Amino acid sequence: MERRAKKMLPAVSPPPAVDSADYSFAIEYHGPPVPYEIPEAIPIEIERIPVAAVAAPSALPDPLSLPVVQPLPSPGPLKKPSKSGRLAADPAGASPTSVIENHAAMDRLDSVEVSGEVGSSGVLESAGFPDRSAELSEGIGSSGAVGFSSELKEGEGFEGFSEGIHSSGVLGFSGEVKEGEGFEGSSEGTGSSGVVGFSSEFKEGEGLEGSPNDMVHGRISTESALSSEFDFRSSASGDDEAFDTQAKKAVLVTFQDSAQSSGSASPAIGLTPRGRMEESGMRVPKGACYRCLKGNRFTEKEACLACDAKYCNGCVLRAMGSMPEGRKCVSCIGSSIMETKREKLGKSSRMLKRLLSSSEVQLVMKAEKDCEANQLRPEDICVNGKKLTQEEMVLLQSCPCPPSKLKPGYYWYDKVSGFWGQQGHKPDKIISPHLNVGGSIMRNASNGNTGILINGREITKVELQMLKWAGVQCAGNPHFWVNADGTYQEEGQKNIKGQIWGKPTMKLLCSVLSLPIPSKPANPSGEELDNMVNRAVPDYLEQKTLQRILLVGYHGSGTSTIFKQAKFLYRSIPFSEDELQDIKLMVQSNIYNYLGILLEGRERFEEESLAEKRKNQQLRSSGTRNKELDEHDDTTEYSIGPRLKAFSDWLLKVMASGNLEAIFPAATREYAPLVEELWNDAAIQATYRRRRELPLLPSVASYFLERVVDISRVEYEPTDKDILYADGITSSNGLACTDFFSSQLAADGSGNDDADQQDTLLIRYQLIRLHAKGLGENCKWLDMFDDVRLVIFCVALSDYDEYYEDANGVAINKMLESKRFFESVVGHPSFYQMDFLLILNKFDLLEQKIDMTPLTVCEWFDDFDPVVSRHHYSNSRSINNCATMAQHAFHYIAVKFKKLFCSLTGRKLYVTLANGLDSDSVDVALRYAREIIKWEDERLVFSSSESFYSTEPSSYSP
Amino acid sequence: MSVAELKERHIAATATVNALRERLKQRRQALLDTDVAGYARSHGKTAICFGSTDLVCCRTLQGHTGKVYSLDWTLERNRIVSASQDGRLIVWNALTSQKTHAIKLHCAWVMTCAFAPNGQSVACGGLDSACSIFNLNSQVDRDGNIPISRILTGHKGYVSSCQFVPDQETRLITSSGDQTCVLWDVTTGQRISVFGGEFPSGHTTDVLSVSINSSNSNMFVSGSCDATARLWDTRIASRAVRTYHGHEGDVNAVKFFPDGQRFGTGSNDGTCRLFDMRTGHQLQIYSQQHGNNDNDVPIATSIAFSISGRLLFAGYSNGDCYAWDTLVAEVVLNLGSLQNSHEGRISCLGLSADGSALCTGSWDKNLKIWAFGGHRRVI
Repeated sequence: MERRAKKMLPAVSPPPAVDSADYSFAIEYHGPPVPYEIPEAIPIEIERIPVAAVAAPSALPDPLSLPVVQPLPSPGPLKKPSKSGRLAADPAGASPTSVIENHAAMDRLDSVEVSGEVGSSGVLESAGFPDRSAELSEGIGSSGAVGFSSELKEGEGFEGFSEGIHSSGVLGFSGEVKEGEGFEGSSEGTGSSGVVGFSSEFKEGEGLEGSPNDMVHGRISTESALSSEFDFRSSASGDDEAFDTQAKKAVLVTFQDSAQSSGSASPAIGLTPRGRMEESGMRVPKGACYRCLKGNRFTEKEACLACDAKYCNGCVLRAMGSMPEGRKCVSCIGSSIMETKREKLGKSSRMLKRLLSSSEVQLVMKAEKDCEANQLRPEDICVNGKKLTQEEMVLLQSCPCPPSKLKPGYYWYDKVSGFWGQQGHKPDKIISPHLNVGGSIMRNASNGNTGILINGREITKVELQMLKWAGVQCAGNPHFWVNADGTYQEEGQKNIKGQIWGKPTMKLLCSVLSLPIPSKPANPSGEELDNMVNRAVPDYLEQKTLQRILLVGYHGSGTSTIFKQAKFLYRSIPFSEDELQDIKLMVQSNIYNYLGILLEGRERFEEESLAEKRKNQQLRSSGTRNKELDEHDDTTEYSIGPRLKAFSDWLLKVMASGNLEAIFPAATREYAPLVEELWNDAAIQATYRRRRELPLLPSVASYFLERVVDISRVEYEPTDKDILYADGITSSNGLACTDFFSSQLAADGSGNDDADQQDTLLIRYQLIRLHAKGLGENCKWLDMFDDVRLVIFCVALSDYDEYYEDANGVAINKMLESKRFFESVVGHPSFYQMDFLLILNKFDLLEQKIDMTPLTVCEWFDDFDPVVSRHHYSNSRSINNCATMAQHAFHYIAVKFKKLFCSLTGRKLYVTLANGLDSDSVDVALRYAREIIKWEDERLVFSSSESFYSTEPSSYSP
Repeated sequence: MSVAELKERHIAATATVNALRERLKQRRQALLDTDVAGYARSHGKTAICFGSTDLVCCRTLQGHTGKVYSLDWTLERNRIVSASQDGRLIVWNALTSQKTHAIKLHCAWVMTCAFAPNGQSVACGGLDSACSIFNLNSQVDRDGNIPISRILTGHKGYVSSCQFVPDQETRLITSSGDQTCVLWDVTTGQRISVFGGEFPSGHTTDVLSVSINSSNSNMFVSGSCDATARLWDTRIASRAVRTYHGHEGDVNAVKFFPDGQRFGTGSNDGTCRLFDMRTGHQLQIYSQQHGNNDNDVPIATSIAFSISGRLLFAGYSNGDCYAWDTLVAEVVLNLGSLQNSHEGRISCLGLSADGSALCTGSWDKNLKIWAFGGHRRVI
């Protein structure tokens, strides 16, 4: 132990002499000398252990060896709550005077402290506003007054700047500028550390060292700065004043911070609190880089899309970080871009290409185009006098033929023909018709004065010209009704009068008049659902419109059946080729599994009957098995021929070793004829008849076993029913998910008005089915699903009298196990405030067995005592009553779970009934799930205003 | 022999094993006269002094839209791959903090990712129970996605962790929720050997992490929900070389000490521990004193050693990230209290190959790179 510990000690101290054997494990050897050499543990050379070893600086990649990566110039710690103590006197909306008072107050405070602090503030200031012109060096070297005054007189050019230098009269710092010194000075005195920290912020790792002598003068200079500040207040216009107040404040705060957090003044890149450059009081000389303040108008720069701050070659990466939303300063992330820059979205600049590799540029541009913050805001677009909602915006942009280059503004849209244009202008484009966006079109939408109306809009002169060329009779100011395909008719008349786009020359003529022509849809509008599912939706839309539903349940609760039903119900192609292949393999390996169980049973039955035979026929001496086979006909009932016996032994051996999957699918080809022979064997058939005695054989096995001959063939294709009956979805027990639109809901849900129909079309649902095992111990991975909208928990009603054996051989009721799993899922912290829908599955099985085994078998249900059954117990044989009994059981169990849920969360649990093999009941259950989601959405909207919504989302009565 | 008799014997045998295990534990306790910290202190060692500027956040990698679950560095060229709940793998250039690849995954629920030793491909795995390999140089398809170059299927549970064998390009070790670890041949997609599962000395519940010994790539250690860590030899799949007891909760993370003779663990019980590989002794516990309430002890989610081994970085579920002095078992720095620290749980962390930078990934959707600042040298 000690030796091990010693090895980890740093090299500094010599290893202590081990004089006592106290901590050694071994006992000293006292026997005779040994002939061989004793292996010796050679102590490790302590010097060679790389503890605190200095990695050669040259070995380090350059940017990492200079780890104080230049922070952004905005005063990072500005909003730190811990620093607010002295700031408290400086409320956000302070008037200029109060700021000044504060300043004065602080000055008094400062006078007690090391005066160097004050001086440092000055330097800080000066570092904040230098222009890298001739004055620059002076500015750094000089006192704080420079900073202030330069700020004050900014508008007036640099006269004020030099004036400031004069007014201070004293140089605050001797200001040695050392290139590349980094933070070397940060551990020195408090005052100077502040200086170093902040100056390096602005000047890329340059360090400043002030002599204490100069610091004393720094204080005086600040005062002079203060006086000049007063001057400024009197002269500045109101608008500017407010602005500068803010700037002033920021400066004060920065100073405070630098004085207090000496040594830790290294705000790093990346997390500057959100504040624009302007707010932080930065005034950048025209044309210079906003960060390093170097350069001029002619140096190449990259501008932030949101605030237009411009950065030079060296600063752009630091200022913009990893550009999750494209070219934006770190502090601008999340804010929307300037509309003038929308054109530039996704268009790379030469500078970026030089700085980054092509794949990096590509990704930045992709992010720029696709990220949500950079999209047009729906409220900026006004169609037919109505601002768009988010849904309408999505609809407009995702239609097959969207308006190109959409900019904020006012538009009109003719829903019937698809004409689209700017308010007060002629049509601009023909987009997809029948989009339910914006209000209804107004007569004066395109500001026409011809008196001719198309779909209720007075057309412009140019359009009239076009109509004339198209051969449309326009005499008498007719009102036309133009359809999307260009056919037109007069208002109030039935017959179609003609086709506008009929003549081939029309396209040419339209382009002459710069009028739009119908364009071929970029992606043909397939009315088919699946098309919509598969259409690539931009990421930012996807996240908005995708509603995730998690489907979990304990093993055997039928989640996979429900999932497969959902696929059959909502997808035109439920399973892809790969999935079918997977299912085929699974069914085939399952069938071998079932066969194996049968063969096992057969062996048992054979042994049993043999033993019985022996007992019955005492007189015969027990010969070899073969002999017995010959002599006793009835034992052959379970006996098979040697060839099949060999196959059976092999299969059982493979199963026992647990690598049944490993030999597939090769086995299918080879053994298909054998399986057929085996199945047709009388012994297997006899065993199969006694399948009730084989507890391991699942109930679905008979369905497959009866078709085993077909299934074991190579060319077997699983039918829909096979898929439904098959155990599980994938052979790996992994997660499965499927997307579907809920248009079904809109189509046959009777109570939906138009608005509902519209947004249900947009909502994509993703049903995620997860095996109970997939969540890990104690639902460890449930936190991956905290973005789901609804959890569907599945419980098999037939579980109440079923048991399984755990690792210790203790029989555990499956219903109780389901309950335990339910508790841990519901109680998981990620699902705080999550809605739950409980599907009580396998109602058909419950109906079958409720009469044979009472519900009270399960200890959780021991107080099940339905009233009805007592009244009509006499005629409980009748089918009607039987159903009622199951219904009672269902309601009872539902209430049990509801109470449990309420005691765990204090909220309401939604419960529905289903029968996994019946597609209608699954459809009803899943539709109920979608209604819950919709209802929750609406409740959020309406809960504040009125509460006429009932507490029940729908009237579905299970 | 009847079933009942067999069962009886099984129970008796289990009891014997447990009794022996208990004795072993006591014996170990008796032999454990000191720990690293006690010994170091007795020799006057003090914790290294770490100022708050010595380790600074120098890059923030933004771009994921979901919780970050895993990250890995390349051996050279300073690139990072990260996996997030948004269903994407992103390959970052750590120097420019830009994305070089964004890979959309078929299954969004990804738990782990790893860089191949040559830096040309990345692997990931998650709830789909498969480990997918992407070649970063392969041609993107129509939608701009990188196609899967190889998918390793065969696990019966989620893939919780994967790591390439450092000196063999084509070998990969995964750990899974099906209680096994598997050594794969990436080129053929076949399993070479399976560790645990059927064999009695394997983990009894989900395996959560693996770490391959850097000095002897035949050895790897795995941590599991059964509160143990196990050492495996890739040449002997049939049994675990050694089992390390001590933790009182799921072992979420294991990581070999740089010298390859020890390894560290991070666990749901809120502690990190250092085990000696050969003796099986627990050398040191790294745990903070928390309140009496057991429920709010933050769990250790991920650990990493500095290049010398003097520092142990451990991420916790409450957003803290401690730098432990491994010698004296003191927290010398809490990255969670520094400026620009993460706002959510630290889910993963990793040290660059040269030890000069630490990358942390968090549930706040960001990754951060921390570098040793100023005059402080890499330790």
